[in-house]
Amino acid sequence: MKRFEWANPTSVAEAIDLLRSAPPFEDPDEAARPIAGGQDLLTTMKEYIQRPSRLVNLKNIRGLNRIEGDGRKGLRIGALVTLSQIEEHPEIKRHFPGLAEAAHSIASPQIRNLGTVGGNLCQRPRCWYYRLEEAVCLKKGGTQCFAASGENKYNAILGGGPSYIVHPSDLAPMLVALGASVTIAGPDGNRTVPLEKFFTLPSEGSIRRENILRHDEIITEIEVPASRFAARSTYLKFKERASFDFALASVAAALELSEDRTVRQARLVLGGVAPTPWRVPKAESFLTGKPITAENVAEAAKIALEGARPLAHNAYKIPLTQALIRRALHRLAEMNA
Amino acid sequence: MTQQMPQQQTPPTKRKKRIRVPRVENGIETMVEIEVDDEGGPSWGPNGAHKLLNHRLTRVDGPAKVTGAALYTYDRRAPGMLYGRILRSPYAHARVVRIDTSEAQRIPGVRAIVSLTDPEVSGSTRERIVRFVGDPIAAVAAITPEIAEDAIRAIKVEYDVLPHVVRAEDALAEDAPKIFPEGNFAEKERRGDPNAVEAELAKCDVVIEAEYRTPIHHHACLETHGHMVDYRGGESAIIYASTQGTFTIPDDAAKELGLPSSAVTAIVEHMGGGFGSKFGIGIEGKLACQLAKRAKAPVKLMLTRKDEFLMAGNGPGSWQKFKAGVNRDGTLVALRATQYQLGGLGDGSLAGQPYIYRAQHVYRERIAVYTNEDASRAMRAPGHPQASFAIESLMDELAYKLGMDPVEFRKKNLRDPVYHRQLDRGAREIGWERRPKQPGTGRGMGCAVGTWGGGGAPQCKVTVQIARDGAVTVAVGTQDIGTGTRTFTRAIVAEELGLEMKDVTEKIGDSRLGAANASGGSTTAASLAPAVKDAAYNARMQMAQTVAPLLGAKPEELQFADGKVIGGGKSLTWRQACAALPPAGITAQGEWKANLAASGVHGVCFAEVEVDMETGHVRPIKMVHVQDVGLPLNRLAIESQLIGGMIQSLSMALLEGRVMDSRLGAQLNPTFNDYKIAGTFEMPEMIPIIDDEDTREAVIGVGEPAHIPGGSAIANAVFNACGVRVRELPITPDKILRGLAELRERRAS
Repeated sequence: MKRFEWANPTSVAEAIDLLRSAPPFEDPDEAARPIAGGQDLLTTMKEYIQRPSRLVNLKNIRGLNRIEGDGRKGLRIGALVTLSQIEEHPEIKRHFPGLAEAAHSIASPQIRNLGTVGGNLCQRPRCWYYRLEEAVCLKKGGTQCFAASGENKYNAILGGGPSYIVHPSDLAPMLVALGASVTIAGPDGNRTVPLEKFFTLPSEGSIRRENILRHDEIITEIEVPASRFAARSTYLKFKERASFDFALASVAAALELSEDRTVRQARLVLGGVAPTPWRVPKAESFLTGKPITAENVAEAAKIALEGARPLAHNAYKIPLTQALIRRALHRLAEMNA
Repeated sequence: MTQQMPQQQTPPTKRKKRIRVPRVENGIETMVEIEVDDEGGPSWGPNGAHKLLNHRLTRVDGPAKVTGAALYTYDRRAPGMLYGRILRSPYAHARVVRIDTSEAQRIPGVRAIVSLTDPEVSGSTRERIVRFVGDPIAAVAAITPEIAEDAIRAIKVEYDVLPHVVRAEDALAEDAPKIFPEGNFAEKERRGDPNAVEAELAKCDVVIEAEYRTPIHHHACLETHGHMVDYRGGESAIIYASTQGTFTIPDDAAKELGLPSSAVTAIVEHMGGGFGSKFGIGIEGKLACQLAKRAKAPVKLMLTRKDEFLMAGNGPGSWQKFKAGVNRDGTLVALRATQYQLGGLGDGSLAGQPYIYRAQHVYRERIAVYTNEDASRAMRAPGHPQASFAIESLMDELAYKLGMDPVEFRKKNLRDPVYHRQLDRGAREIGWERRPKQPGTGRGMGCAVGTWGGGGAPQCKVTVQIARDGAVTVAVGTQDIGTGTRTFTRAIVAEELGLEMKDVTEKIGDSRLGAANASGGSTTAASLAPAVKDAAYNARMQMAQTVAPLLGAKPEELQFADGKVIGGGKSLTWRQACAALPPAGITAQGEWKANLAASGVHGVCFAEVEVDMETGHVRPIKMVHVQDVGLPLNRLAIESQLIGGMIQSLSMALLEGRVMDSRLGAQLNPTFNDYKIAGTFEMPEMIPIIDDEDTREAVIGVGEPAHIPGGSAIANAVFNACGVRVRELPITPDKILRGLAELRERRAS
């Protein structure tokens, strides 16, 4: 990897200052970067895909590695909380089971011990053209998305263009489904935005980024509100290699059921199929007021994938995602929440 | 390949032969020649009568490996050592016009740069043409790996980019860019009369035409290729090498360093996997030597994981087209086969079809097709898993079309009774009768058959030493590539001398020790074990001569058992017996004996899988591999080999394959994230079965046969489970979902 400065701030303000004061850059991949677990950042640095002039180590900042709250008050999750902390947290397992499942589905125990919530949400794309140093694609300042007409079996079927990456985070779809918001610290203070608005499509934000975070900002906290559907939540992830893999497709789902077992509220967010976590409001509202039956579930799954535009090699993701949606909804209906 | 008959053993005779033994006279040790009964040399004896061999022996290097004490090439360090890195071509085909290393030279910490455009390095004055993405161009040695990495990126190379081709179909096209001046393909074999076969096919009851493909695979050694060249100028060098052949290193390295071969020592104490890809020093070793020579400092150059995928060879792919005809009774009558071997710049390899099966009329052509990818190397069972996948899929398709039990259909076309008994055994173990007769239930079984040679040859020189304090050492320069060579070497000597495993020390992995063959073709055990046995036997014979008078017995009456030497109604402990030896102890040599090795094995694999009919996910549930092995030197190690073979096979069937982008000419998955290898969650219940009905009292290697039929068995089980025949590996969910959708459409119309 390219040489870089290592900075060790002990406060958020100092970290922001170190990010802002880093040497000027022409290419966003050369900007200073915050580092926590480093599980994604270091892999891109080793391939010279990201070449930051300075790494700002967040691990010495106190207070960002705690999970606070419970099922009644909601959760406040510090950005440095590790994925293992989430999957093992008793309150999360009990009151936000989908979140624990999503954390558990990620990579390997070793990576979950180091990887953080903030880092997981800010992962760079896994598209193999992006990860290949020799391919200067749109995401790296080039002029074409090689995946669009290339080997695209893992790429987007929804929301793609001009880049067809899929968002790699497993936490993101689940947190979006749970209505989470994210607190961002920057030179002008803090701002809190719904997580759903944090991620950007290639057609809307900068093609070089996947979210609204500026180079001198960091995530400090995730807030997951208490809700009537959090306890009936689940995350289903389909991996080609069960042992360790990113999602070919995933479904984050949550339901509030009425006493008559009809759906009062539904949340359905897809992962692994679009450049952002992909919420499907039409399918959610279709389910509202209806019982979870095989027919309704199948119809919701159909509606959820209505806008899909597969590329040459990824049409299989449509039936695959539909199957996951059906299973997730049946599973939620059977849960004791 | 067919099974060889068990080797005839020389019958015991009372012939005499002369041997040299140590004698102490007046305190001076001399060797004297004496005459003894010729027992006919060593023999293993019945497979059921061993004390250590044919038992489950834990690996002697296990504790060192699991505690991290074992030293691999990666672990080697020397004072002042530099780190080497290689600059690879980003283009699949290009002329190197100019190379400018001046900026890289100026980076502090850079100590040497060598370029393959330099005739002194490349050994060629011709212009450098790179022929694949990853083709090496230059190398840097620096005081840290990071500086070396930065320096290779500071080297400026001007390329004249040429058109490339990475798909076999494209390479065969008439207007394809030429990879070699001679063209893009070479005929390897043409056999039979195509017209006669066509005529026979026309008469067959059932004819199937199908084609099958397997992608290029990777050896994926956990330890990448590389060396630590300990050379600072001067007259000798030590090369620490991650290699399958200790003795393949000194000559290669000596040439680069400008030293005589005898001045170069190769050390291979432990190595992290080869699978056929690690013979000789390779381009990376050549560059490491050149860097060390220029820097006058030791250089460690281990390939990065990406280097390993791009430039360390590959297991070739295949594309096989068949037209096959059978009669109603299940006889395979005629086969027409076109077999393309896809080895990048190499020839690839494929066993000729119909592989193990019999067909009355066969026409086959084997053609190597070249593409702009690194050259193929041997990979665990070269050409066999690919040939097996194609023919076993075809045999399955024929069986289903005929409505015959796939096991019965196979037996009908296999003459060798060993296959019959192994198929019966495997079927029993997996519960073949539970197999759904109609595919599509989501659960299914499949089977496949394989063969391998695995014989030995006279290539090893082994020394056994017995010291007066009782210490026993066996020494030979061979390498243990993870297969358990150390363990059986020690066990053979311990058993011969009536000792326990802990009483013997083995020294291996050093070119100063006795010669040994490289580990390829499953020949290590069958070449080495007989020589070890011979050395241990000779040591025992010498010892008997010295000790017999003490017991008042004849040398040939002595027994070596339970740590004692017994004879004449008395016994000595091992230490007591050794104390009687002359000061220098005993040194005995051993060589290969033909009667102690054999070749030719059979194997069958059965698999049961579950297919998720909605997601296309395949979950292996159970695999059974039945394998004949001759004398099982170490049952535990052989079972591990069989389990490892099953894992590699299911990984090949379901996950692995190089993916190329045809526009960039580049591999898209040169990482362990994207080149997917089976992990613990993919593992089914695995039953390794050593076929003890094989009574050959002789050693045969089984590294390779363990990896032949497994992938085909999985593929056939997938069909039995879901009704989709995936004819191109790997069998991934996208292909199954596509197949299921086609099945539904066909049913609907």
